[in-house]
Amino acid sequence: MARVNLLACAGILAAVLLNLLAGRHPFSVPELLAALAGETVPGVSFMLWEDRLPQAAVGILAGAAFGASGAIFQRMLRNPLASPDVIGVGYGASAAAVAGMLLFGAQGLGLSLIACAGALAVALLIYSIAEAGKNTGPRLILAGIAVAAMLQSVIQYLLTRTDVRTAGDALRWLTGSLSASTWERASLLAAALAILFPLLVPAAAKLRILELGDDTAAGLGLKVRSTRLGLILLGVGLCAVATAVTGPLAFVAFLAGPLALRLCKGRSHLGSAALTGALLVTTATFLAANILPDIQLPVGVVTGALGAPFLIWVLVRTNKEGT
Amino acid sequence: MALLEAQDLTLAYDAVSIVDELSLALPAGEVTIIVGANGCGKSTLLRGLARLLKPAGGKVLLDGEDIHSRPAREVAKMLGLLPQTPTAPDGITVRELIGRGRYPHQGWFKRWTSEDEAAVERAMTLTSTTGLAERPVDELSGGQRQRVWIAMALAQETELLLLDEPTTYLDVAHQLEVLDVISELNRTRGTTVVIVLHDLNLAARYADHLIALKEGKIVAAGHPAAVVTEAMVKNVFGMPCRVIPDPVAGTPLVLPIGRHRVLRAETVLAANGIHRTQNPDADLDAGPAPVQGPQAGTQEVQARATAADPGSNTPAGEGIERAEEISDMLAFATKVVRIEPIGENFRRLTLAGKDLEHFGAGDAPLDLRIKLMFTPDMDPAGGGDQLPAAFESLRPGALLSRADATGWYRRWLALPAESRGVMRTYTVRALREAGHRDNCGSEPEIDIDFVLHLRTDGGKLTGGPATVWAAQARLGDPILLLGPNAALCGADYGGIEFRPGTAKRILLAGDETAAPAICSILESLPAGITGHALIEVPDTGDIQGSSTRSGVSVQWLPRGSHPHGELLAAAVRDIVAIPAAGAVLTGAEPEDVDIDEQILWETSTASTQPFYAWLAGEASVIKDMRRYLVRDAGMDRKQVAFMGYWRRGKSET
Repeated sequence: MARVNLLACAGILAAVLLNLLAGRHPFSVPELLAALAGETVPGVSFMLWEDRLPQAAVGILAGAAFGASGAIFQRMLRNPLASPDVIGVGYGASAAAVAGMLLFGAQGLGLSLIACAGALAVALLIYSIAEAGKNTGPRLILAGIAVAAMLQSVIQYLLTRTDVRTAGDALRWLTGSLSASTWERASLLAAALAILFPLLVPAAAKLRILELGDDTAAGLGLKVRSTRLGLILLGVGLCAVATAVTGPLAFVAFLAGPLALRLCKGRSHLGSAALTGALLVTTATFLAANILPDIQLPVGVVTGALGAPFLIWVLVRTNKEGT
Repeated sequence: MALLEAQDLTLAYDAVSIVDELSLALPAGEVTIIVGANGCGKSTLLRGLARLLKPAGGKVLLDGEDIHSRPAREVAKMLGLLPQTPTAPDGITVRELIGRGRYPHQGWFKRWTSEDEAAVERAMTLTSTTGLAERPVDELSGGQRQRVWIAMALAQETELLLLDEPTTYLDVAHQLEVLDVISELNRTRGTTVVIVLHDLNLAARYADHLIALKEGKIVAAGHPAAVVTEAMVKNVFGMPCRVIPDPVAGTPLVLPIGRHRVLRAETVLAANGIHRTQNPDADLDAGPAPVQGPQAGTQEVQARATAADPGSNTPAGEGIERAEEISDMLAFATKVVRIEPIGENFRRLTLAGKDLEHFGAGDAPLDLRIKLMFTPDMDPAGGGDQLPAAFESLRPGALLSRADATGWYRRWLALPAESRGVMRTYTVRALREAGHRDNCGSEPEIDIDFVLHLRTDGGKLTGGPATVWAAQARLGDPILLLGPNAALCGADYGGIEFRPGTAKRILLAGDETAAPAICSILESLPAGITGHALIEVPDTGDIQGSSTRSGVSVQWLPRGSHPHGELLAAAVRDIVAIPAAGAVLTGAEPEDVDIDEQILWETSTASTQPFYAWLAGEASVIKDMRRYLVRDAGMDRKQVAFMGYWRRGKSET
């Protein structure tokens, strides 16, 4: 497991370097080293410090947040489909953000806050629907899917009602992109995650018990309901702060957990999932910038393109195992 | 020792109350098992006791304190729980899963300690899962997986352990394995165990304290021996059953009675084509009464013999032929060649004679019956030549007309009663052809076991003529016997009354007079037949060794001071269940046979049923059992043979 984490870190670093050295508008190694050392290299320093590095930082942080968030939901609900973007939390953020953008012209920090609030509100709505009665897990997923469908139509309605150019901005945001990353946003995200990431340690300990089933967990002295609510809030928080900065990076949360599980041969924990999420985003950033010769794709397009086949694979596998 | 109690506990899902104002205290250090029908609330009760459900009323007390008011972790250190279907995370190893049972002992900062490690090792040792430690849980078999889950609950090291149907989905061997582990845990650690269990018989076996639940209320509680009764099972499960002592554990064993596949009732005698005779020898060409019968019986037979005669379509004899070529029944002159006591009340006489070369009925017949002739003037010292002429012509080698071959019985009956003597039927215990290594001489031999029902009256032996003869017989005494002609008789010979047909399970029951027949049947039974043989004998000294290749288990019942037939009847009742009322169409009251006037003799020929019963002995005992089997147990007449050999108090005169 430690080896997998180390490899993931190396992979992240490699992806970032690759993006700098071999991507669109590549830097040469001496240029890069000089710029990193603080020298002013014309045409390089600005690009590096104001575009590439904040982009990489936001990518790593958001990827880690998405990855951890997805893993929390998937393990808590014991279902690989139960990632925040599938169960509607992501759509809550999106719908709130689009509404804020189109109706109030919100931007920057304000937009981020609106997105966070939307995600939390939707999460609480879904939880309250699912909590009343037995089988909270499956009900949470179903309620999430229903709410997601509803929110999607709200987003579609808002988009069709507005001016094409504003709608374009909203669409770009909805696709998920790192292109608007700045140090300000990166530090904002870092600050939020500095609070949320340490909570992953007790969360992981409780998750280990909760994933044995509600009754077993209760038998072991875990307060199941409050633990579950706490985990949901943590997961939503992670997902929301990342979404607020980058827009919904499709399927990162969904992919990171199961991928980490495969890499660790079934002994995954939240940290591995976070690192895998960061690796996914940085790799996707490189691919998005370089896969087509003329167009620079938003990162969300690449993660979405990777995620859909994976979703199908998960479904086929689940069917085969018959579980 | 932690004590768990429920006080007026009401448990409800939504507004529907499942457990209703229930109070109980779980005996500390004992295994309590909760049983009940599906949906009776037993799992709900367990969830309530394990504080997974908040009571809608009343409370659960752990050591006198409301369980819900105590910190969850503290409770978890005292009370462990294994829910019905726990879920193991993908890929988790056995050791890791068991280790999670230590959660309540770990705090925010108190991490994994050597004490935790030791607890996991202990749990694995007790459940024999040490060898599986590094295996992923999802690769284990159901039984192994369940042991691992139990180990996880054990690693919690609680004084109380609650298990919800820990044997569900396991095959019977794994069920026992799991219950044995729990039982051992209870014995070695003194853990108080509460189990919800489906299987009533396993519950009765493993529980110290059994609680029967119905509609959320306790119907019965206590030691299984007191709680598990036919009435309780009927009440709680709505199912008729029989409860017998478990032959393995001695605990109550519940045998359910469904609507089908129970010993079926007689429906319509005629529809089944049941062959029924009152006289075993009616098939024979005018056979005599089964012997030790009273005078009345003889008269009865006489009447039948006469009546049967016109129906006889044997061609009238033309010319004279050798008896062994035309007569199914032959008379064999024999001498006593060996006398052997085989029990306090049994004596085996070996008869030999050259005539016996012609004796037999197919291969290894079961319960082959013959008749012995006792003449009144049979002087033990006298010669054996005083045979009635009626029989002289039936001896092998004698010349006989066909007409005479069928009429011998009537001719014998026509003789004056004082001089014609009496006939008694006996079972051939063993038949050894000439040259057999066990023979005394060169001639074929027959073993016959006699029961000596004798009293001494004023220095003179009194008893039946056969008994008196057998008791006084000496080597060389002559005796004439009537039996099947080997050349003409096969397995369908009428003197064979044990006809199991295709039955693979049999019941043989009888008193000492049936003992020789039962022993001889047992010796000839092929392997593959199972069932029971019950033989009631006067004394322990009468128990004989009997060998059989079959799977029939033999039980000797020494009567001692019990009334004749009491032990036998009780044993038969234990083996053949009475279906509950309405479960099967029970047999109608069998038509009455006045055993003082008539001979009770019902046998069938070709049974195709899987079960066959054969009962013989004292007529009133047999009559009682017949009533039980036919009317109460609803047995089909095709499946049974009832033979009243003799009548107590009336016989032997």
